[in-house]
Amino acid sequence: MFSSTREGLALALPAAIFALLLFILPVGILLSEAFQSDDGWTLKGYIDFFSKPLNQKVFLRTLKLGVLVAGTAAIIGYAAAFSITNLSPKARGRVFGLVILPLMISPVARTYAWIVILGRTGIVNDTIVGLGLSDTPIRLLFTETAVFLGLLQLFMPLMIISLLSAMENIPRDVIPAARVLGANWFQVFFKVILPLTKEGLVVGGTLVFTGALTAYITPAILGGSKVLMLETLLYQRVNVANDFVSASVIAMILIVMSFTANLLLKRIATARK
Amino acid sequence: MKNLISLSAMCCALATSAFAQEKTLTISTYSFAQDAYKAALYDPFEAICDCNLVIETGNSVERMSKIEANAADPVIDMAVISSQDALALSRKDLLSPLDLAQLSNHSKLYPAAQDPIGGNMAVGYTFYASSIVYRTDLVEINSWADLLDDKLAGNVSLPNITGTQGPLTLMMLNKAAGNEGTDFTSVISDIGTHADDIVTFYSRSSELAQLMNQEEVIAAPVGRFAWSRFKSSPLPFAWAEPKEGQAGGMNVMIMTKGNGNEELAHMFMNYWLSTEVQTRVAEALIDSPANSEVVVSDEVADNLTYGADLINSLSILSPADIIVNREAWVEQWNTEVIR
Repeated sequence: MFSSTREGLALALPAAIFALLLFILPVGILLSEAFQSDDGWTLKGYIDFFSKPLNQKVFLRTLKLGVLVAGTAAIIGYAAAFSITNLSPKARGRVFGLVILPLMISPVARTYAWIVILGRTGIVNDTIVGLGLSDTPIRLLFTETAVFLGLLQLFMPLMIISLLSAMENIPRDVIPAARVLGANWFQVFFKVILPLTKEGLVVGGTLVFTGALTAYITPAILGGSKVLMLETLLYQRVNVANDFVSASVIAMILIVMSFTANLLLKRIATARK
Repeated sequence: MKNLISLSAMCCALATSAFAQEKTLTISTYSFAQDAYKAALYDPFEAICDCNLVIETGNSVERMSKIEANAADPVIDMAVISSQDALALSRKDLLSPLDLAQLSNHSKLYPAAQDPIGGNMAVGYTFYASSIVYRTDLVEINSWADLLDDKLAGNVSLPNITGTQGPLTLMMLNKAAGNEGTDFTSVISDIGTHADDIVTFYSRSSELAQLMNQEEVIAAPVGRFAWSRFKSSPLPFAWAEPKEGQAGGMNVMIMTKGNGNEELAHMFMNYWLSTEVQTRVAEALIDSPANSEVVVSDEVADNLTYGADLINSLSILSPADIIVNREAWVEQWNTEVIR
């Protein structure tokens, strides 16, 4: 495309400088605090962090919810993406518009909607009490379930878009061919669809998992202080305790988790070749 | 020559005038009710001081960090903050003692507000009572212990330990259990036992008001400064008067060490503490007065922490006790309550 590698590098230089000065450098300085003490470089911040039972629970809860949200988004996303690819071009465009519509609405507004839905006087509880399933409204807000639903709704479009893009590249006669050759739908999915869409799954999975790990608004509003996650704990350490070392440790853990998830998904995708 | 002297004189006059216009006082304050403060306090003061006020807002931790980070060359001249945070800054040698000779309104303050952290390092400008807001149609509150009673299970919210209301609630629950002092170990354990019965541990009074107006919560401890949020609700809320009494706290004014703007800072503080301004601020329902000469109508008083009898009856947690114990409270809270 370029007449020389030098031209390509020159064009990439402004973006590289921007990323280096305004992202990598400040984040690097901040994160390095997590490895420093009065005596020099140390892992004390990490040892202290993981020695506290609360931090261990928050770490495991964040990991659990991240995996659950990404996994559920993948299951629902595959079904949604598969049905969308089978629509007529006109209907596909319309449905795709509906899928990306939530991304145009503020996460704050979308999360507050869940308060209305999951509240004691919300639609869910009205239905439960109305159907006689419970005499009194059940507690849904400020639970892990509420945070899970909020995060799933928040990031589901990213998974559907990623899978849709991958699925549209599958040759149209491949699935009918597999069916004609005697494969059931379970085999079609695992032997045909999944291998051909693994790149979309890696992208979608990384986006959803990373998003669920790092989202602040949704866990803060729907979970509050009873369902602390790493990002709400990070905010608490900075804004309540002025403890930048713990905050840097948490930030580093989040970054490591995100990269690990991406590498793991890529490894799984590669292993299926 | 004559023209040159005239020109020089004119330049000096303009320079002096410009200097006077550029006199600036930077204050650090809480971010709530800033429009109301502007009308009742900032604009009237700027009109008489021939100076500019620069208002910096934020939460306590952010503002304290800024004061500490700029200790060598202060960027904040004076600040309003909780008494325990003021004591913490004072112990780090970041504050300058106030010159009472420049605060003619100091003697008008309630005794508790005159020297709340010792050494004249701060002066109280507002009190707040803390009690329990509850739904009169659903529950009756007679004691702080009712918060952990089975009748409120699943319908009560408590303030988070990290806010100003958290330690006050612990103190009153401790009193209700028949204990005195600042050993809250058994109270925190008790809250931990009931943690599943508590809807959430709120951080801001606005958050609680939303929860109570959405009927998620029917009773919770809160500062009186937030009462107007509940009073205007269509739901029947009441302010409890528990048998153990009400807790209380105070916000104070402080001046940073070596800010070079001490005279103007004292002038502003004295103006804020005056009967005129304290009355105006009270009538706007922004802050309860610390000036004992302030007189307001019964209707206004009903929204405030007002009057010597009420102020003297408040159970106030010593700022020194809070600073000494806070870390241990938070540690136990995180282990047994948040889990």
